[in-house]
Amino acid sequence: MKIVVCAKLAPDASDIEIRSDGSISLERAEWRIGSFDLQAIEAAVRLRDTHSGSVTALSVGPQRINHSKLRKDLLSRGPDELVLVTEDALNGADTAVTAQVLAAAVRKIGSVDLVLTGEGSADLYFQQVGLQLGELLAVPVFNAVSKIEVNGSTVRIERSLEEEIEVLELPLPAVLAVTTDIHQPRLPNMKEILLAAKKPVFEWSLADLELENAPESRVEAVSLRAPRPVERKRILIEGSPEEAAQALTGYLVKEGLA
Amino acid sequence: MADHTDIWVFSEKPALQAELIACAQQLTAHTGGQVTAVVLGARSQAEQALEQGAQRVLWLGELPTGRLVEDIVPTLTAAVQDKRPFGVIIGATVRGRAVAGRLAARLSVTVLADVLEFQWDGVALLARHMVFGGGAVRIDRPLASPVIATVGQGVFEARTRQTPSSDEIESLPWVEPPWQAAVIERRSRGVSSVNLSAAKRVICPGRGVARQEDLGMIEELAQALSAEMACTRPLAEGLDWLPRERYIGISGAMIKPDLYLGVGVSGQAQHTIGMSESRVVVAINKDRGAPLMTQSDYAVEGDLYQVVPALIRALKARKGK
Repeated sequence: MKIVVCAKLAPDASDIEIRSDGSISLERAEWRIGSFDLQAIEAAVRLRDTHSGSVTALSVGPQRINHSKLRKDLLSRGPDELVLVTEDALNGADTAVTAQVLAAAVRKIGSVDLVLTGEGSADLYFQQVGLQLGELLAVPVFNAVSKIEVNGSTVRIERSLEEEIEVLELPLPAVLAVTTDIHQPRLPNMKEILLAAKKPVFEWSLADLELENAPESRVEAVSLRAPRPVERKRILIEGSPEEAAQALTGYLVKEGLA
Repeated sequence: MADHTDIWVFSEKPALQAELIACAQQLTAHTGGQVTAVVLGARSQAEQALEQGAQRVLWLGELPTGRLVEDIVPTLTAAVQDKRPFGVIIGATVRGRAVAGRLAARLSVTVLADVLEFQWDGVALLARHMVFGGGAVRIDRPLASPVIATVGQGVFEARTRQTPSSDEIESLPWVEPPWQAAVIERRSRGVSSVNLSAAKRVICPGRGVARQEDLGMIEELAQALSAEMACTRPLAEGLDWLPRERYIGISGAMIKPDLYLGVGVSGQAQHTIGMSESRVVVAINKDRGAPLMTQSDYAVEGDLYQVVPALIRALKARKGK
């Protein structure tokens, strides 16, 4: 079976710098594979290992995602090949634009049986792209998928809803957004890292996807700032464990909490 | 009913629907349209939406056996194209996100995800939400119509029941979806299922807890405070000490309890996004410089293995009085 796994390469949220005026800089942030996409890659690779076939990793974004370290990181996690669709106009693309470009890329890759995505991107976490992608491809699409079993031309999935587990069977091809607990992602070993350098990387532009320009953005980010911190009392309690426990109990009583 | 003024709401959860109606009322104050609830369920649920403040109901009837809530997407799309609301606000459950994303793709718009607040900038709508794992607040202006947004539970406050201002319930014709998933089974998530967002007091162990068996001590503290057990993400995913439903933060639970007590929690933004609106925040940590310690009302500097037992004794002694 032919599997495509989508991964977002984006600045690492833990590298955000907050300037004194509350504005945010991502200039020094390292770009990484989304932490929620690693589970999708792992799920794709395991399905291929069980059913044979191939895994194509797919990422779209600005030129800077075409970086040797990111390419190697993606491929050392098990995919057989990598497709990068780069265009600087895709920097900060909204979920509709991203889904449109991914849909065009999946069509160009061709004869795809299954597309996997993570639960959400590590930077924006809107949890939308996989769903929009499935709808644009006009195939069955589900989110919160915590188990995948392929049986020939159908797939049986488990979805983790708020209060229940739902087991569904659907025809392939399909697009599935997986949960963060579907599999523990592997750490690439040295052999896989060396192997990664030899795997094919396809670099496509929007023109290669017959998209003249980047699709028009449906949303404008008006501002991006550090959240205003909630005012806290910031009372530091020190001393022996007994003293501290007594002091804290006293405060909890005052707050009506003990 | 003018074009592009009505605000529609949809949630398969009646309690969330009431909150979305309250949110929509704020928006129609600016758009001048009507609050319309799209209701899937018994006629009594359609009537309930009118009592919750909707001015009109578009009623889908009851979901036929073997169908999914998500199967409403083609019907909802056709209705939006026909009636042209200003926007559709959808409850941010797993199913709600799926409905929102698929609806948006069909309408060629994006989704304003997990909106915390809507604002008006003169004539235009602005939506505030968190990005970068809670590290930043972004304000977005939608450029395309209709506006599709998701809103989570507890963001807007439902109004008290009112006498309906209308009895307008319109049935929507069902549009058959192009594909169908077969429902094989639904099962409860079992004993591990917990509604953390309903808990008034929450205790959250973090990586400062060294061994799984030490959670017994944390549970004892939770009992002494009548609190619910939560945890940070590594304890639920990776260590697997606690079920996934119990972790707080991005991709986990978002809570606003009266008391949040973090035990050995460092306080990364990805975690604190899920608890920063708690009324009282307490942290126990040996490192007074840990981010959570500096964002607490009460920060106890000390070894949790000594402080927690002492705290259990102190709380029990107080109860005994």
